[in-house]
Amino acid sequence: MSKIDLGNPEWRSRLPSSRAVAADAPAAACAFSRDGKTVAFALGDGRVRLLPADVTEVAGAAPESAHKGAVLSLIADPMGDGFLSGGDDGRLLRIAPDGGTTEIVNQKGKWIDKLAAHRSNGTFAASVGKMAVVVDKAGEVREFGPHPSTVAAIDFSKDGSRIAAAHYGGITVWSIGQVTLPPRKLGWQGSHVALKWSTDGKFIATGTQENDIHVWRVAQSSDMRMQGYPAKVKSLSWSADARWLYTSAQPVFTAWPFAGKGPEGKPPLQFGDEGAGLITVVAAHPAAEFVVGGYDSGELQLGDIKTRRSAVLKMADGAAVSCLAWSPDGFALAAGNDNGDLLVIDLRR
Amino acid sequence: MAPSAAPAQVPVTVLTGYLGAGKTTLLNRILSEQHGKKYAVIVNEFGELGVDNDLVVNADEEVFEMNNGCICCTVRGDLIRIIEGLMKRKDKFDGILVETTGLADPGPVAQTFFTDDDVKARTRLDAIVTVVDAKHFLGQLEQGDEAEEQVAFADVILLNKTDLVSEDDLAKVEAKITSINRYARIHRTQKSKIELDAILDKGAFDLKRILEFEPDFLHHGHDHDHGDEVASLSFSSDRPVDPDKFQKWMGALLQLRGQDILRSKGILAIDGAPRRYVFQGVHMMMDADWGTPWKEGEKRSSKLVFIGRSLDAENLKRGFEDCLK
Repeated sequence: MSKIDLGNPEWRSRLPSSRAVAADAPAAACAFSRDGKTVAFALGDGRVRLLPADVTEVAGAAPESAHKGAVLSLIADPMGDGFLSGGDDGRLLRIAPDGGTTEIVNQKGKWIDKLAAHRSNGTFAASVGKMAVVVDKAGEVREFGPHPSTVAAIDFSKDGSRIAAAHYGGITVWSIGQVTLPPRKLGWQGSHVALKWSTDGKFIATGTQENDIHVWRVAQSSDMRMQGYPAKVKSLSWSADARWLYTSAQPVFTAWPFAGKGPEGKPPLQFGDEGAGLITVVAAHPAAEFVVGGYDSGELQLGDIKTRRSAVLKMADGAAVSCLAWSPDGFALAAGNDNGDLLVIDLRR
Repeated sequence: MAPSAAPAQVPVTVLTGYLGAGKTTLLNRILSEQHGKKYAVIVNEFGELGVDNDLVVNADEEVFEMNNGCICCTVRGDLIRIIEGLMKRKDKFDGILVETTGLADPGPVAQTFFTDDDVKARTRLDAIVTVVDAKHFLGQLEQGDEAEEQVAFADVILLNKTDLVSEDDLAKVEAKITSINRYARIHRTQKSKIELDAILDKGAFDLKRILEFEPDFLHHGHDHDHGDEVASLSFSSDRPVDPDKFQKWMGALLQLRGQDILRSKGILAIDGAPRRYVFQGVHMMMDADWGTPWKEGEKRSSKLVFIGRSLDAENLKRGFEDCLK
């Protein structure tokens, strides 16, 4: 499928076409809609900014404010071609592609700062204080918890039958089917601030307050710990084939090998150009061997783990990259930063 | 990395005080007064505030032990999350106020600002303000360690409800406060009424301002053995400090006695250094930096302050003296 070819000098020499919008409010999250036609950015002034994914298309007017404070979380709506957003106003909204909003949750005083959806069964989950709230495709809302602390991150298993929530003292795995089963607690001391379930469903990785990564083998409940990061690992991303776990908080692309026997006793694979600062957000390509990393300096790098080549997609500008998203077809990227500079990049050349 | 203006650090004021001392009254005052400033307020009881303001954030005090082998290294996990979230807002604040519950130990809140890199990058701990109930304080000391520790941690104390006690009783309470913490500035108040610039943006944790902020810093502190009670001790010397010996001693001391040493601060005349060396600590955590330069001909003296429980004055004195040239 790869028209993206980092080894091809001609591909590298041409700048990608892109769309840049100054939103003037920090971007907390970004996402492409399921049909790939719309990009959305969650902004610190309460707006969700919608842009056409086609960078040649004229962008419509910015919709009205969606939330009262800051929009803290945003994902593609698994039930349509719009989005779901959570805010520090305690509201969870469904946003239609035309910008129209419907309120799904309203819990004043709570923050809805983490959202996750299953790719095909139409279910999504939100962190609401110490509870994980799950909404299925029929719209039925169910709560799981309370957890020992506020839920810091949440993700679905590959088959969509379970969710995992990160909190102080470890993670909790819940079966979300109609039969209520007791939760499974996977403990590790300290506070877990990021969580991603592997794309093959076998592993759950977390980033901790102590700048470590913790990974559990779900079937065996055995676990491992990766140390040596200079900062908290807030961004984790599994490659589409689940062979690699990419992590932020390093000056180059850093991938732990999960193929075969797993990463125990092995160093991570590192590649890419140093000197751009630390990676703040990392996102693996939805299908192929590519990965994109955003730096605290604002630089964007595209990497190819097969050839270990990398290319700069955007130069550093001083504002830390705060969010990244791939289009469903893997040919476009969305990126936002702390200054509110919103970027959509078309990688087809 | 591309050059960029370092984001200004938002000052954070921590508001402590025993149940019923007057914290909520003070917060309502801050939120309702016309001062042209914008504060984000992190409270533990949403409903208690009379003012509805979208910058009021409800927090559950989530005290997390750091998984780094340090037993008294606890932080407020909710605070880390909330400060990160507040920084995603477009509107910026002149300050953040953190209210703790009446029975809270101020240690974890203060340590959060020494420990978490993201919090340190975006905010700075400005001062710990403790509201003391003049009528009930002496009784509260008998109830447990909380009232005493809240005073021990304080940079500024509001001695509140002074209208409910006689001048004699007030003097007794004030003497007790001073015996615990002689370095906090005390303001007598009624109904928590105070000029806001007396409590906000004080720079009490600013290392470079330790000197200006401690008018009686030079006084020798201790007098007798306080046993189990919290007390303040200070030491000073005109002899230069050996930096290696001091680091070693202080490191070992905080490692060993960090649970009992609630606050530590100091200004040191390091042998041969043109600038003051200043430090500020909470339990085992410590931040140190170079302060203002010594002036030509200025007398170079070092001062050290400890506020804590069961402090062994003789031992500390000897330890400090061993670090002198």
